[in-house]
Amino acid sequence: MTRSEFLLEMDDILGLPGGTLQGNEKLDELQNWDSTSLISLISLAETNNGVSLPLQGVVDCSTVGDLLRLAQVDDEAVASV
Amino acid sequence: MKTDAENSNEVRSAATVKLPTTLPEILRKREALKKELQQQENLLPVRIAMLGGSTTSELRKMLELFLLADGIQPAFYESGYNRYRDDVLFESPELWEFKPDIVFFHTTWRNVSQFPELLEDEARVEQRVEAEMARFTGVWEKVQSELGALILQNNFDLPNLRLLGNLEAVQSFGRVNFLMRLNAEFAHYARSHSHLLISDIHYLAAEMGLDNWAGSHYWYNFHMAISPAATLALARNLAGMVQAVYGRSRKCLVLDLDNTLWGGVIGDDGVQNLLLGRDHPLGEAYLDFQHYVKDLKRRGILLAVCSKNEAENAREGFLHPDSILKLDDFSAFKANWNAKPENIREIAAELNIGLDSMVFVDDNPAERALVSDQLPEVAVPDIGADVAGYAKAIDRERYFELTKLVADDLSRSDFYSSNATRAAAEASFADYGEFLSSLDMSAEIGPFMPVYLERITQLINKTNQFNLTTRRYTSAEVQSMAGDPGWVTLYGRLADCFGDNGLVSVIAGRVEDKILEVDLWLMSCRVFKREMEFAMFDALVERCQALGIHKIVGVFVPSKKNAIVSGFYASLGFQSAGSKDNGETRWEYAVPQCYTPKNRYILRSASALMAVANA
Repeated sequence: MTRSEFLLEMDDILGLPGGTLQGNEKLDELQNWDSTSLISLISLAETNNGVSLPLQGVVDCSTVGDLLRLAQVDDEAVASV
Repeated sequence: MKTDAENSNEVRSAATVKLPTTLPEILRKREALKKELQQQENLLPVRIAMLGGSTTSELRKMLELFLLADGIQPAFYESGYNRYRDDVLFESPELWEFKPDIVFFHTTWRNVSQFPELLEDEARVEQRVEAEMARFTGVWEKVQSELGALILQNNFDLPNLRLLGNLEAVQSFGRVNFLMRLNAEFAHYARSHSHLLISDIHYLAAEMGLDNWAGSHYWYNFHMAISPAATLALARNLAGMVQAVYGRSRKCLVLDLDNTLWGGVIGDDGVQNLLLGRDHPLGEAYLDFQHYVKDLKRRGILLAVCSKNEAENAREGFLHPDSILKLDDFSAFKANWNAKPENIREIAAELNIGLDSMVFVDDNPAERALVSDQLPEVAVPDIGADVAGYAKAIDRERYFELTKLVADDLSRSDFYSSNATRAAAEASFADYGEFLSSLDMSAEIGPFMPVYLERITQLINKTNQFNLTTRRYTSAEVQSMAGDPGWVTLYGRLADCFGDNGLVSVIAGRVEDKILEVDLWLMSCRVFKREMEFAMFDALVERCQALGIHKIVGVFVPSKKNAIVSGFYASLGFQSAGSKDNGETRWEYAVPQCYTPKNRYILRSASALMAVANA
């Protein structure tokens, strides 16, 4: 999935209008972000897109950018598994 | 008088929001759906304490969504991580102040404190079983005695590794065998304690497969004992149980015929060419679906047909030699060319049930969409296009969840067939009093008894029209009313020459200073216009006389459905004692020394049980 698709998924999970997140936000400053948001994001990434976030590093993410890097999503489309 | 069917459209503007069916869609839309669902009217507030043996945050969100979609507004207490025992044993002040209606224990196999050692003898393993049970019963008993809440308790799932391979299930020291022993003990406890219900995660895990049930990354990252997909299944399971606890499970399955109950279109193919029977794969699948539907009827679900067909053709289908279902299995039968939503409304009116009690099953997606759109209270599962999946599509949704199976449930269908006979008899009498007399009615009226607690709770939570206060209680609360000397309770069963109507009326009130204030007075719409309310009032007055109660106070709390009883207390001879701005009215009745019974047509049977209760 592409970077913008990933960000749109995050918008949905947080109940934010599509296009809100830009990718540089701090996670704990996001509106509606709580412990379940990360769980939802990982689950969506896995079931829908075959993107598997590695065991190490998930709970260490503190910004949206960290998550994008961990998921290895980039500006160009990444082939789904 | 409006029917239950018409009224229910006003009350449950609920289910206009349908939940998505897949996990990704639910995760994406959860926040938006929650906001929409919270706008619904008449949500029933329920307080749920989630006591976890692992992380509960995701489960709470899922459960909240499913409960809201079912018309329930939950308030939650969540224990600290793995504090499910400590919060109870050390009486956490927040939990105690929260006063939960329901306490849910989210435990899994990871919470078993001790597994047997290899090669331990059976006696020692048995001691471990008892010790583990004592850990749980200690907590359950404290919840019951101090919080009085209903308990939902997970049984045990299985780990997805088998150290001893197949011996795990066989040897008493094997983990699998040990967990199955504990599950048997949990079931035994639940059978003898009606305030505790088991959430069968053992089954849920088997249904989705252990590898899908437990997600290892979710455990290591978040200490979630179950994956998000498992959380979805568990939330759906629990929501079904909560519906059942409040007597809101659905009662009636409405079925299409062609390519739903048999393969083929009977109007075109004729009965002899229908696919039904074991000599053809599709035929066998339809047969098995008929078996499933018949089994539902046996356990108390009403069946109705709604088919676009000539009535004669439709009926003929049930003459097929392999047909498991027969015409008299159906409590209502609509085969015509009218639109299905209209037919379903008529079925609801005929059976005097709410649209929100019904499930509609049809292989045709266009028909499903039409009914779903025009009758949002009716549940319309997407059964798909493959008959082999129909039963599962219905079963998975937990529409007909039970907390207990009672004898009244099994004869529900019979009641509805005998009602048609009653209606025919009524039409043949010029004088209504003569008709009532001809019914040879008899009633059994007495204080709440344990054997009737489930049915009493069901009535309290389901009855909307003849309901003076529309107060709702869990079975745990009803049980405590029954045992409380400060309460006067009455149930009423009614039978007549056509059959037994079962337990149809409930009265309960608090006594203070020799004054009885009626908290609950309700009666099933099954027995309207039979003067059963007079028989109940006679019994209530007699009880008050016996207890030296000199005044009965009645309160009418208006709801959208109970306008028919706004003048009920006046009709009994109560005096008005004031009213409030919200329409609530208060009534008083001075219990006379000599009382003339109002009931004229019902014989009150003095059963041995009643005699004991009144002593």
